Amino acid sequence: MAFSIPRLREQLAAAPLASPYPHELAVAVICDVFRAANQRPPRREAFVQFERHRGHALWREQVSMLAHVLASTSLREETVKALDTTRTPMARLEQFFQEIEPLTAEMVRANAFRQEEFLRVWIRAMGGALENETPAASKQRLEQLDYRKAMADFRAAEAARKKEADRREQLLQEAARREAEARGWRE
Amino acid sequence: MSPVSVLAPDLGVAPRARIRRDTATQRPHIPWAEAVARELSALASLADEAQARARVEARLDGLRLALHASPFHARRLRDAGMHPGDLRGLDDLRHFPVLERATLAAHWDAIPTLPTASSECVVVRSSGTTGAPVNVVRDRRDCLLMWAVLRFLLARAGARLPRRPRVVLLDALPGGLEYSVRLPILEDGALHRVSVLRADAAERLHRVRPAVVFSDPEGLRWWTARPELPRPALMLTSAQHLPTALRDTLTRDLGVPVLNYYATTETGPLAWECLRTPGHFHVFAPDVWLEPDSDDVVVTRLRPSVLPLLRYRPGDRGTVRRDACACGFRGWTLTGFGGRGACRFLAPTGRAVDAWAVAWVFKHHALRAFRLTQDAPEGFLLELAGASEPEAHALTERLVAALRNLGWASPRVAVRHEDAAAWSAPAKPQPFRCLVTPQGH
Repeated sequence: MAFSIPRLREQLAAAPLASPYPHELAVAVICDVFRAANQRPPRREAFVQFERHRGHALWREQVSMLAHVLASTSLREETVKALDTTRTPMARLEQFFQEIEPLTAEMVRANAFRQEEFLRVWIRAMGGALENETPAASKQRLEQLDYRKAMADFRAAEAARKKEADRREQLLQEAARREAEARGWRE
Repeated sequence: MSPVSVLAPDLGVAPRARIRRDTATQRPHIPWAEAVARELSALASLADEAQARARVEARLDGLRLALHASPFHARRLRDAGMHPGDLRGLDDLRHFPVLERATLAAHWDAIPTLPTASSECVVVRSSGTTGAPVNVVRDRRDCLLMWAVLRFLLARAGARLPRRPRVVLLDALPGGLEYSVRLPILEDGALHRVSVLRADAAERLHRVRPAVVFSDPEGLRWWTARPELPRPALMLTSAQHLPTALRDTLTRDLGVPVLNYYATTETGPLAWECLRTPGHFHVFAPDVWLEPDSDDVVVTRLRPSVLPLLRYRPGDRGTVRRDACACGFRGWTLTGFGGRGACRFLAPTGRAVDAWAVAWVFKHHALRAFRLTQDAPEGFLLELAGASEPEAHALTERLVAALRNLGWASPRVAVRHEDAAAWSAPAKPQPFRCLVTPQGH
């Protein structure tokens, strides 16, 4: 059975707003998904190592939010069906957390676009497919939603704006200087 | 007392006008103006909603780029965890933050994209008749847009232009500003601003023989009192409530179609009132998108402009729905348009007077808000927010003069200053109220 974003969002809308899971319990909820798919979940030490070397400021709240989404929607059940043994669970989780790096729990909760991105990244990392959507369309949609790329675009646009504003400021200063010099000459 | 004595030029509140004389620079924009009119016509006759939406959504590419280039929008979207690329379809709009009029007023210089020299930008200030004045950055095409839209409206009204048409802007505002300029963008025509305050206004109109007249209801009323004036092909009015009787007089008795359009300084033209079904305002899609099924007007401008407007709320009320109108229009229509609602004051003689006849008095006053209530046959309460004592005094004097002119022998206007913050409702207040009931009812 394929994943359905509208159905998952509907279920999420009916769930409590905040994740009730502390970090350890959230990790257990995530591991349980792999266990249900007859796969050995990552060891606790693997999570500790991940946090130490590749974790970031938002990682813990993302873990908590993921556990909340898995427990309160059909995402867990559908993930169990989609998982195969082509990749290790930790490799899948590493890909997921890397791709959602800038997303806060608040964004996933309240922002329609970031919520969709969060769900789609999870589905892709778990090797799932989306209902009524070709793989190419799913890929294109994720590229449109990619908030990491958007942040890079924002930074580039900001730098370009600043450079242009500085250039114009310099032109104005030069024009003012030339005018002042010309006035002095006439006097 | 004649209207001229009240609307005396020495009131001196007209804004200083800067008139562009280099009108030949309009010529390169003529193909653009023709294309705007063509696209409006094409969409107004497209029955299939899916196709119409697709054409509107095609404009989102340009909007995304503009949002990226606007310092205000870029920062705002980033703070909300969004980016312009999230905007892929019209249904996505509802997830984006709304831009209130007060926010536009506060950030007017950060919302535009960085203009180029060829944008020829200017800053104009909305009059603030029914809300806080707003500085608005406009590029050259923003300034010329009404001439493009006029081509479309002339076709809708079935009006034909003569060669080198003359357009008159008939002005009933105090100040008596007049000018004449060439108008290459409209069939090599000319634009004349004529003030009804001038003694020779009628004579000038006879000489000019306008094909198109723009005015406000006060100017149109002045015209109806002079049936000997030449008959234009089309009269247009905007920004205020258009009394039905006035429209009927012009249309039926003078045989001139009157087109009432809804526009704001910030957005440009948004919709026009159907010639067959009054109260139904047809939206100028695909230039603008007015969100359906909302009680407030929420505008996203889809025409390229230096000022990208995403989900802008001008403060007017109304609901937009897809419509197949008896006039032949197919598209989105605004109904229940409010914020500029009708009101009739009751003169001591028993005559009902359109309250908007005194609206000119409030023009060019930087008021946060106002409301004029008739609470007795000769008594009015003027509630003002954000006005100084001298402003309130000058305003009251003009208001008393205007009411005398409309038939009140000794009108009394009491002023009450209100807290500006308490009036900062998202929608504009209904500016006129009448609490007096006709005798015998």
